[in-house]
Amino acid sequence: MDTLVAQYSRPLFENEGSSQEEQLELIQTLPPLSLKFALPPIAQPSAFLRATTDDHSNPDCPIKIAHGTTTLAFRFKGGIIVATDSRATAGNWIASQTVKKVIEINNCLLGTMAGGAAGTMCAGVTPQEGPALYYIDSDGTRLAGNLFCVGSGQTFAYGVLDAEYSYDLEDEAALELGRRSILAATHRDAYSGGFINLYHVKEDGWVKHGFSDTNPIFWKTKLDKGEFSNVTSELD
Amino acid sequence: MPGFDFSNHARNAALHAQGFPLPKATSTGTTIVGCIFDGGVVIAADTRATSGPIVADKNCEKLHYISPQIWCAGAGTAADTEFTTALISSQLELHALSTGRNPRVVTCMTMLKQHLFQHQGHIGAYLVVAGVDPTGVGLFTVHAHGSTDKLPYVTMGSGSLAAMSVFETQWKSNIDREGAIKLAADAIQAGIFNDLGSGSNVDVCVITKEKTTLMRNYIRPNERERKQRSYVFKRGTTAVLREKVVERVDIGKYVTVHEVPLEAEGEKMEVDA
Amino acid sequence: MSSPFSINGGACVAMVGKDCVAIACDLRLGLQSLTVSNNFPKIFPYGDVYLGLTGLATDVATVSDLLRYKVNLYRLREERAISPQTLANLVSSSLYERRFGPFFVSPVIAGINHTTGKPFICGFDSIGCIDFAKDFIVSGTASDQLFGTCEGLWEPDLAPEDLFETISQALLNAVDRDALSGWGAHVYIIEKDKVTKRLLKGRQD
Repeated sequence: MDTLVAQYSRPLFENEGSSQEEQLELIQTLPPLSLKFALPPIAQPSAFLRATTDDHSNPDCPIKIAHGTTTLAFRFKGGIIVATDSRATAGNWIASQTVKKVIEINNCLLGTMAGGAAGTMCAGVTPQEGPALYYIDSDGTRLAGNLFCVGSGQTFAYGVLDAEYSYDLEDEAALELGRRSILAATHRDAYSGGFINLYHVKEDGWVKHGFSDTNPIFWKTKLDKGEFSNVTSELD
Repeated sequence: MPGFDFSNHARNAALHAQGFPLPKATSTGTTIVGCIFDGGVVIAADTRATSGPIVADKNCEKLHYISPQIWCAGAGTAADTEFTTALISSQLELHALSTGRNPRVVTCMTMLKQHLFQHQGHIGAYLVVAGVDPTGVGLFTVHAHGSTDKLPYVTMGSGSLAAMSVFETQWKSNIDREGAIKLAADAIQAGIFNDLGSGSNVDVCVITKEKTTLMRNYIRPNERERKQRSYVFKRGTTAVLREKVVERVDIGKYVTVHEVPLEAEGEKMEVDA
Repeated sequence: MSSPFSINGGACVAMVGKDCVAIACDLRLGLQSLTVSNNFPKIFPYGDVYLGLTGLATDVATVSDLLRYKVNLYRLREERAISPQTLANLVSSSLYERRFGPFFVSPVIAGINHTTGKPFICGFDSIGCIDFAKDFIVSGTASDQLFGTCEGLWEPDLAPEDLFETISQALLNAVDRDALSGWGAHVYIIEKDKVTKRLLKGRQD
């Protein structure tokens, strides 16, 4: 019986990890002649990408990327705050209100997503750098900085963030500022909304501070604090 | 002739040149048919109106009154079929009044084709004209560019091929009233079930020398199932910020003209001494 | 490029109930993705007949003013209030007059005919084709969503209080799936001897 089983089963961990070839490729120190980017078989890849995915210049493009987003991250004395909305749109259609736009890379590294040509952010703590924040986009831009907002709602988030930001913010105030900036963006930007996803990156890793619906937060902010007085509650 | 107003045209053309698409008009995707029989004529239509892929109206009326003994079935741009038939109906009534004779189907057809040809196809009305007049029974088709046909049985609209397949296989000369009604209704049903632009119910209009019979929803092969449960919300579900009740007696007689007191306190006009 | 109908955004819906009608609209005015105003109602009263207008905001303002002028003249000439059916034909012919240079609007009418006592609703395309419906009429950038919610929620002979819940939930849940509509709503419940207007607490994102 045992011989029969052995004949038809494989060692448990045979397919785990890289193959011999892949390992060789990884330890090869000299770059090979070809850089081995996966490129589409056409003359101008960037033009091809635009033609197939940019629905602004070509409304009939075959691949519709969900653009609308507001994401932000900023450095302060207590670490880094990362906050995003959670809306995904395809044209004017709200495809989802519960998208997770923060990628938990490991226990001390976070990434944020913004669709299409908009950039992404990378926030994390490393022994070499301490708390580090980078902005990266599809053009190849890579910027280190203290404060970034990305996406269709970025201007609205910057408005609140720039007005109230200080490096010496306490943890609670910093979290509230991140939350309030996303809230402002979801209010004014049609393509941002849903839930506020909030993270705090600290020396010993990141801590999640909820995935909360904007609706009760908005009405609390308006009715309790008297903000958003532009929103009418009167009938004439 | 209608006095069309072109004052928005320059703006809309500029908008269109910038890449904005033209507005989507309601169109009657439509199956419409007509068939003559011994002593009369029958026309029939489906009742679906579409706006792109959306069914805008599930039970619209595509059989239009022209005169008591002349009726039209319309396909194409819904607004155009509605207003073109109304316009010709009005002109034909005045014409009948001034001549003191009953209007003729050929007259109606000629007025329609001249109106449509003058507008070079921009009025998107595709019509089946049918009726009985002192010269006998008439059945015509009129296309948006102004061409016409005179045939014993006709079909039009996106379901015309499905409907014509029924006529071409089942029509016979010397068909009687009941046979013609059955054939026309079957042709419309072929459109309803096989053409995506047509659907819902069958409307039929039978015109003979004696009388006209409009049979609205003659066949209803697509009745909606009753909902299996009620979806009424509990009262108080919806959050309300403000509420205001206006009694009918307080709704002003005039829409926006408010009565102003003749001599309001402290607002007397100053007059030079 | 987006259509003129979806630059400013907005949604409107009308429903028939038992001896009552309802009409509701959202309050957003936008410029593409930017929300400019949260207080731009799209329902206009003409006596006790109500007209909802969605589409290009400049045309919403122009058409509502033009019809106010025409309804006022009707009132002065005829010395009686306009009926919903007459307003429907007035709107229809006013729009078809501009067949070859239309206003970018999708109107909706709701009212009770005081001669017959019967509820009346109807809708139009931008060139004046009337859609007479016995159940509900939808218009605006959330019209696809509204068709869905209304087909699912509407039922015949709803009392005014139940009609309010049904139309409100149909509208709020439809605009929550449309990026260009929402930011609050107005709802009118029209009965034979009174009209109730309510401001709804809707999502502000």
